[in-house]
Amino acid sequence: MQRRNFFKGAATAVTTAVAAASVSRVAMAALPEPASQSSADTAAPLVPPNGRPYRPVVTLNGWTTPWRMSNGVKEFHLVAEPVVREVAPGFSVNMWGYNGQSPGPTIEVVEGDRVRIYVTNRLPEHTTIHWHGQRLPNGMDGVGGLTQPHIAPGKTFVYEFVARRPGTFMYHPHADEMAQMAMGMMGLWITHPKAASPLIAHVDRDYAFLLSAYDVEPGAMTPRVNEMTDFNIWTFNSRVFPAITPLVAKQNDRVRIRVGNLTMTNHPIHIHGHEFEVTGTDGGPVPRSARWPEVTTDVAVGQMRQVEFIADELGDWALHCHKSHHTMGAMGHDVPTMIGVDHRGLVSKIQKIVPDYMLMGERGMGDMGSMEMPLPDNTFPMMSGTGPFGSLEMGGMFTTLKVRAQLGANDYRDPGWFKHPKDTVAWEWTGKPLGADAPRQTPPGSASGAPSVRKPGTDSGHDQHH
Amino acid sequence: MNTRRITTTLSALTAALVLAGCASVASDGLRGDVQQQTQSRLPKDAQLASANADARKEAQDRIADWLKQPVDQDTAVRIALLNNPDLHAQLAELAAQDAERAQALTLINPTLTLGRFTNGHEREIERQLGFNLVNVITLPWRSRWLGWQMERATLQASQNVLLMAAETRRAWLRAVASEQSLAAAVKMNDAAQLGAELARRMAQVGNFNKLQQARELSIAQESAAQLARARLAAATDREQLSRMMGLWGTQAAFQLPAQLPAIPRSAGELRSGDDAEATALRERLDLRALRRDLDTTADRGGWAGVGAVFGDIGATYSNNRSTDRETGHVEKTRGWELDLPLPIFDWGGSASARTRAEVRRSAALLQSTALRARGEARTSWSRYRTAWDLAHQQQAEVLPLAKLVQDETVLRYNGMFDSVWQLLAQARATTQAVVNATNAQRDFWLAETDLQLALTGTSPGETAALGSSASNAASNTNEQGH
Ligand SMILES: [Cu+2]
Repeated sequence: MQRRNFFKGAATAVTTAVAAASVSRVAMAALPEPASQSSADTAAPLVPPNGRPYRPVVTLNGWTTPWRMSNGVKEFHLVAEPVVREVAPGFSVNMWGYNGQSPGPTIEVVEGDRVRIYVTNRLPEHTTIHWHGQRLPNGMDGVGGLTQPHIAPGKTFVYEFVARRPGTFMYHPHADEMAQMAMGMMGLWITHPKAASPLIAHVDRDYAFLLSAYDVEPGAMTPRVNEMTDFNIWTFNSRVFPAITPLVAKQNDRVRIRVGNLTMTNHPIHIHGHEFEVTGTDGGPVPRSARWPEVTTDVAVGQMRQVEFIADELGDWALHCHKSHHTMGAMGHDVPTMIGVDHRGLVSKIQKIVPDYMLMGERGMGDMGSMEMPLPDNTFPMMSGTGPFGSLEMGGMFTTLKVRAQLGANDYRDPGWFKHPKDTVAWEWTGKPLGADAPRQTPPGSASGAPSVRKPGTDSGHDQHH
Repeated sequence: MNTRRITTTLSALTAALVLAGCASVASDGLRGDVQQQTQSRLPKDAQLASANADARKEAQDRIADWLKQPVDQDTAVRIALLNNPDLHAQLAELAAQDAERAQALTLINPTLTLGRFTNGHEREIERQLGFNLVNVITLPWRSRWLGWQMERATLQASQNVLLMAAETRRAWLRAVASEQSLAAAVKMNDAAQLGAELARRMAQVGNFNKLQQARELSIAQESAAQLARARLAAATDREQLSRMMGLWGTQAAFQLPAQLPAIPRSAGELRSGDDAEATALRERLDLRALRRDLDTTADRGGWAGVGAVFGDIGATYSNNRSTDRETGHVEKTRGWELDLPLPIFDWGGSASARTRAEVRRSAALLQSTALRARGEARTSWSRYRTAWDLAHQQQAEVLPLAKLVQDETVLRYNGMFDSVWQLLAQARATTQAVVNATNAQRDFWLAETDLQLALTGTSPGETAALGSSASNAASNTNEQGH
C-alpha cells in the first residue's frame, strides 16, 4: 500500500503535499494560501515550525493543516468544497469537505493561541463552520442565521478567537447541516496544553479520527443525504477497513486515541488486549477520580472521547466499533438468511435461467470474505481484508493496533503482521475427534420439545386413519 | 318451302355470334387470369390450385415436400394458395360465373309455332318461326359488357386470393410469435417454480415464515396460469395457420422456424412512404374493378332508352298453308310479322334516368374507394413505420437495457444486496422483455403485410392495432419481486 511509502518522510515535519502550499507567502493584506491535500493516506505528524511547541497528533488517513503567523496570530485558511474521497482503493465517493479532503485537515493549536480562520465557500450552497466544544465569543460560534449570516458561495468569512481550553474538538457546518454532514463536512480540532497539567499526560503516540457514516447505493458515488438510519459505509475518517491505517506503538508507549462521532448513532469503540481509561471528553480532561478501566467506550452522537493506555502487549490487536454491522461494507439489509437451506438440485436449474448465478450464504456469510465475485462498479464489498491467517471478513470501522518491541520514536510505518512467539497461536486439535454419537443440535426448523407430528403414511399414523 | 332462307338467316346470326367470340367458356375457369393479376403480389413461384386432377396431385406432392422442413412465411402462402378449400370454392365460383356469362351470350332459341286448325271445309296449318330481334342486334354490346363484368369478377377473385395470402401470412406470423412467447413463458415459469421451491425449503428450516413462503408461492401460481394461457395461444394460433394452409391430420404436425424474420436493420431499408398513395391508386385491384363497373354502366347508359322502348321487338316469320278440304286447293301465305311495343306511357325516360343514376353511383363509389385507398395507403404506411420504430426500439434499446439490468442484478446478488428471489424475478422480467420485443417484431411484419395489401392489392380490412400486444403483455406481467 502507498501509505507505507508515505511514512518514509515522517521524520521531516511537513509532507511534500503540504509543503508545496505552505506558509512562506506572507502578505499581510492577502488571504493566507490554503493548503490542500490530494492523498487519503495518513500524513506524518506536523511538528510545529513556529509558535508554542507541542507534541503533534497523527490523524488517521488525514493530515494537519499548516498555518501562517501574522502578528502573533495563527492564521488558517479552510476552503469548503466538493471533493472525491477515496474511501478505499477502487471505491471513491463524491463528498463535500475542506481543502481537498473529507474530513478536512486537523487544526492543531496550543492553549492560549489566538487563532484566525479564513473560511472560503466553494460549495454550491451557503455554509458556516461551528467550532464544536470551543469557548469563544458568541458571534464566532458559526450557527448560520443565529450568530452570523451564512457564508454565500464564493464568499470568504473570518473567524477569530482564542483557543482557551486544551482538549479534543471538531468542526463542522451549522448550515444545512443535515445534508452537509451527510456529505462529509467535518474535521478535527486539537488544542494542546500550554504547560504540563496533572490531568493531561505526556503520550508517545497520539492518534485522532472522526467516525462518519454514509449511504452510498452500490455502484453509485454520491451519498444519499436523506438517509437517517440505514447507512452502508461506516468509517474512521471516511476510510473503511482494510484501507484504514493501522495504529502502531512501541511496546510500553503511552498511547492516546481521540475519537469524535459525527454519525447518527453511537459507536462502542473496542480495543483488544489492553485496558484503557477515558481521560478526556470534548468537555475537557476527566478528573482522575472519575476514570475507570474499560476495553470498550461508547462514543455517543456528537461526542468526543479521549482514551489512554500503555501499549504493553505485543501483537496485532483489533480496534473496532463493536456494532458488528459497523465493521461491514455495503450489504443488502433485506436479503433473507440462507443458512441451512438445502439447495440440492436447484443450483443448476437456476444457472440455466441465470448463467452467472453462484450459490451463497447457505453455510453463513463468511464465504463472502474470500469469494472474489464481480460487484457493481465502485462498490465496496460487504467484507474483505486478508490477514496472515486468511480472510478477515471485515469492511468498515475496523483497524489494528500494532504493538512492537522495536520501533523508532517517530516511526509510524506499518510494521507488517506480528510474528507470534512459538506456541502462542491457537492450534488445531489433532487428537481423537468428537465421537459421532455425541449430542447434536436440534435439526433446524423444529422446535425442541414440541410434540412431533405424525405424517400420514408412517406406520402408526396409517393405522389411525382407519 | 323457304326453310332454306330461314336457315341462311340463322346461319348469319350464328356467324355474328361466333364473331363476337364471347360465348366460349374459359377452359381453366379464368384461373390463369387470376394468376396473372396476382403473380407480382405473391411469393415467387406461388401457384393457384388447379382444377385439373393431375395438377392437384402434383401440388399435393409439392406440399408434402415443403412440409418436410420448417415452413417459412412464403411457403405457408404457397401451400395455402394450393390447398385452401375456401380458395378452391372461390375459384370454382369464378368458373361458374364464366359459364353463366357464356350462356347469357348464347342467342335465345327461335320460337317455332305450329298450328293446325280445321273447320268444315278448310284445314289450316300454320308455321311460325319467331325470334327476339334486339337480342341479336345488341349481342356485340352485351358481349362487351359481360366481358367487362368477367374482368371485374376476375379482379374480385384476385383480391380474394391476395386477402387469403395476407391472412395466411398473418396467421404464420402469429403462430411463430406465439411459439416464441410460449418458450419464454416456460422459462418464466421455471424461474417462478424455482423461487417457490427454494421458499419451501427456506420455510422448512425456519428461515421464512408462512407469509413469505406464500408470497413466493403465489408468484409461481400466477406464472403457471400465464404459462397455460401462453400454451393455449400458441395452440390456437397454430391451428389457425393449419386451417389457412388447408392442412389436417399428420400434415398438421408441420414445423415452424424458431424465430420471426429479423426486422430491417435501419430505417433506410424501409419502404418509403412518399409514393404510397400514388402506388395504391395505380395498383389496387379493387379500384380497377370499380373502374370496370363504371365503364360498363356508362356504356350501357347509351342503350338504356332504346332497350327500354324496344326491348320487346320481336320478328316472326310465318308460313301458313290452308287446304280446302273439298277442292284440295292449297293456299299458302308467307310473311314477316313484327311486334312493336308502343311507347305511349314510357319513351324510355325513366330507364335513362336510372342508368344515369347508376353511372353517378358507380362514379361516386369509385371516388369513395379511391379516397379510402389513399387513406389506407397513408395509415398503413404510418402503422408500418411506427411498428418498425417500436420494434427497432425494442431491439436496439429495450432489450440491451433489460440485459444490463439483468447483469447488474447478478452483480448486486454477488454483493448480497439482492436475494436470489430478486434475481429470479429479474430473470422473469427480462424474459418478459424478450416477449414484448417478439410481439413488436411480429407487429412490424403484420403491418408490413397490411401495407403490401393496401398498396398493391386491396383494402387490408381490419388490422390489428399497434400496441395491443404491449398492453396484453403488460396485463400478463405479474408483479416482479416482492
Ligand atoms: Cu459503530
